[in-house]
Amino acid sequence: MKLFLIEREVQGASELTHEQLAEISRTSNAAVESLGVQYNWVRSYVAGDKIYCLHEASDAETIREHARRGGFSCEVVAEVVAEFGPHTATELESERAGATA
Amino acid sequence: MTSTAADRETFRTAVGGSYPVGVELVEREPQLEHLRTALERSRTQGCFVAVSGEAGAGKSALVRVATTGQQWTRVARGLCDPLETPRPLGPVRDVLADLGVKVGADPGAPVPLAERLLDAVGSEPTTLVIEDAQWVDEASVEVLRFVARRVEALPLVVLLTYRDGEIGPDHVLRPLLGDIARLDAGTSIGLKGLSIGAIRTVLAGTGIDAPSVLALTGGNPFFVTEIARHPAEALPASVRDAVLASTSAVGAADLEVLQVIATAPDSLDDRLLPALAIDVPQLRRLEATGLLRRSRRGVGYRHELARRAVEDSIPPGVTPRLHARILLALEGVGADPAVLAHHAHAAGDDARTRAYADRAAAEATQAGSHREAVAFLELALAAPGGEPVHRAALLERLSFQQYMVSRLPEAVESISEATRLWAEARDDDGLAAAHSRRALIEYYSARRAASERHIALALAHRDAPAYGAAKSLEMLLAFRRNDADATSEARKVTRSLAQERSDDELLVRSEILGTAGDVLMGDDLAARDRLLILVHDAAARLFDETASTGWSQLAAIDVEQRRFRDAESLLEQSLPFTVDRDIPICEQWQTGVRSRLQFERGRWEAGLEDAQTVLDGGAPIASLWPHLVAGLVALRRGEPAPGGADDHLEHAWRLAEQMGEPLARLAVMAAFAERAWLLDLRDPRLAGAAALLREVGGLPGVQWSTGRLAVWLRRLETDHVDGVGHLNGTSAHDGPSLTVAEPSALELEGRSDEAAQRWRALGAPYEAALARVGSSDEQVAVAALADLEAMGAWAAADRARGVLRERGLSRVPARRRTTTVANPSGLTSRQLDVARLVALGLTNAELAQKLYISPRTADHHVSAVLTKLGLGTRREVVRRASELGLV
Repeated sequence: MKLFLIEREVQGASELTHEQLAEISRTSNAAVESLGVQYNWVRSYVAGDKIYCLHEASDAETIREHARRGGFSCEVVAEVVAEFGPHTATELESERAGATA
Repeated sequence: MTSTAADRETFRTAVGGSYPVGVELVEREPQLEHLRTALERSRTQGCFVAVSGEAGAGKSALVRVATTGQQWTRVARGLCDPLETPRPLGPVRDVLADLGVKVGADPGAPVPLAERLLDAVGSEPTTLVIEDAQWVDEASVEVLRFVARRVEALPLVVLLTYRDGEIGPDHVLRPLLGDIARLDAGTSIGLKGLSIGAIRTVLAGTGIDAPSVLALTGGNPFFVTEIARHPAEALPASVRDAVLASTSAVGAADLEVLQVIATAPDSLDDRLLPALAIDVPQLRRLEATGLLRRSRRGVGYRHELARRAVEDSIPPGVTPRLHARILLALEGVGADPAVLAHHAHAAGDDARTRAYADRAAAEATQAGSHREAVAFLELALAAPGGEPVHRAALLERLSFQQYMVSRLPEAVESISEATRLWAEARDDDGLAAAHSRRALIEYYSARRAASERHIALALAHRDAPAYGAAKSLEMLLAFRRNDADATSEARKVTRSLAQERSDDELLVRSEILGTAGDVLMGDDLAARDRLLILVHDAAARLFDETASTGWSQLAAIDVEQRRFRDAESLLEQSLPFTVDRDIPICEQWQTGVRSRLQFERGRWEAGLEDAQTVLDGGAPIASLWPHLVAGLVALRRGEPAPGGADDHLEHAWRLAEQMGEPLARLAVMAAFAERAWLLDLRDPRLAGAAALLREVGGLPGVQWSTGRLAVWLRRLETDHVDGVGHLNGTSAHDGPSLTVAEPSALELEGRSDEAAQRWRALGAPYEAALARVGSSDEQVAVAALADLEAMGAWAAADRARGVLRERGLSRVPARRRTTTVANPSGLTSRQLDVARLVALGLTNAELAQKLYISPRTADHHVSAVLTKLGLGTRREVVRRASELGLV
């Protein structure tokens, strides 16, 4: 399974109520269920007129299939190839330190 | 991330390529070249191309290949559904979605939507593809016609595909195809079957015998390709067998899914896949058949012929179950009621069919798709069960929609049935509504007596909501028969009723009709300004029909009272309004008024064009003047009219009798008098002329029409037409009680030259010329012959020549063979538009912009106008504009 970042354009996304988000979640779960292949919805973030989602699937086409079945837009589907953060800087330093030691 | 349809439409599928594209283009090079050229030129010159051929001829394939992978334009696609009754505005919604325009649940009337479409096109070269237009809905045709009229001046290519074998004479697409044929920027491509050589190319390497395939398929590209896909099998007997060959290896569960998908003619919405438990591995297996294609609309068949083949193979008895499954799934995602009604009906679910067809009809009405509204209401009514009063309400709506599509006899039937049901249920409100509706339909059918009977029946229910509508119809009828007292009485009643019920529209309607009465019968020109304000106010408050009725009546009064310029500028505003707000009865009526206007101004060709438009299926009430115009122009020219000049006058006579309106009866009697003069023959009908003048001549507002009739009767007398004795010795301008309009009065007093001057000043050249024939100045009388000839009134000129000879004039010139005198009588409506803009001094480029045509076409029109006017330059047109009645 690969991890994908999905950008969806949703006008007025940040104004969605908790009930509306729950409804979307139900629809999405049903879509995942119906695929009949491995699929994992990790998490989603609402920001402005966009919703960003992290999903796991075998390929981008399956991500789009999920979107079609849920009736969701999906403007960008990009595979996540690496993950890093503040800790990455020190990780590298300590790796180097370990190497030279 | 809501799951509304609107959001879904922004979603772009990327999977189209993972399925076989299907038919390769073979033997379509010239057609492909034609389309590519159109796309390449779109930046400077728009066009409309219709691609026709039988099912499987490769129309979609041709359009797809032409529009894919090109850089000239962006492409928006709209599909028409093979649903029994199509979704109103389905293809238009599709293309708007592709252009990024969001249309809500209520798309509104066709014209505003068409304007939004053109806005979305803007200045960016665009191709609109409308596929399978044999299934198009009425409102979409309206939008496309609006676009077609403007396409040339836009960076826009519209590609329309349709099956020509399925377009009968009354097909909803006909008017658009007519437009395309007439457009300078319209072309048609007909796709024929493949030649034997092309079939060999498709079959290459399969070992199949090409001549056998040609004999079997007639060269149908889809059929040939299907055969080529299964070379190992025996030649299939039909398209169906060829398609089903692809399903031979499919398991039972998968076959059922193929059948479910075939049951959804508009494709299976992707959102239904979870509810129908169709998972990805199963879809992948189905892909292998090569029959399916995914699009923005969901999972569907690559070709309609393939879908039909699978659908036809579903065992009887299974179909309703499949539709029920789809229906249940569709209800879960909140689908279009048109689609829900289709599946509910096919599932045999009567209650749901009634409910969804009812909603679909309401949406179709809103969109102006009246044919579809009729179909949905009929569907709702065909489902057994339901409360009688509910049925009655559906029937009442049906009768109105049937009237809107000019199915008047059926409209009467529907409303009669509704009346019966409401009477049985002792529902007074319903009864009043039914009688009020019936009265309106009878009035539009030009049956005054029946209309009045139903008004009286509706008015028997004082408290019914429909009482106000019946009362205002009563007022309209009173006004139309020049009954000033009854009009003002009804005005008082409707006004207080409107106040009592806080019915703003009724109040506005009452004021509009009352004020129109003041203009017609009170000789009150200040009332005209008040009426215009009232109408604008009504339009601003969205009382569309009321506003339009006000304009309709005023335009007719303006023409009657010879305020031609006022009438012209009024109609320029009000006719587009009737189209925009979808009020066909007013559009027909006003087109009829314009037909008379052009006729009175001597613009006969343009008048005939409008007359023909109304006579092609317009309501009887609007047809009176079109019949008179068609008949009289033919008689004056001495030409046979299509349908026969006499037939037109006979029709007009019968209509006037049924309508019983004084202005109508006077106009028709005058037409018969003119006919008697032109043909120099006796006509027993004229025996009633004097009595008619006595009967209605004293009514307010008839002075122009009595004047015309009196002048014709006088002409019959003085020119010794045989049978003038039928007037029973009654003098034409019968007694002192007859007040006639000034120019006619002058003529009756023998002051022909002054009368001619007045007619000329009013812009009525034919009347002016005939008055001059009566001049005591020999030269003036002879010159009038040339005026008549210049107008093309050859028969009138010949008759006048005879009259002058009889009068003893010595030098009456013989008939000229042709005329080169400038005259706008032969200009078509379009040429007249061009001529008027040229007269205003507009350049071709400005003119092109104003008329939505390309400068090249504008150039073309201007030369045609100059030729017809017999003028050398546009400067001459400007100089002589006023004399030609162009400004």
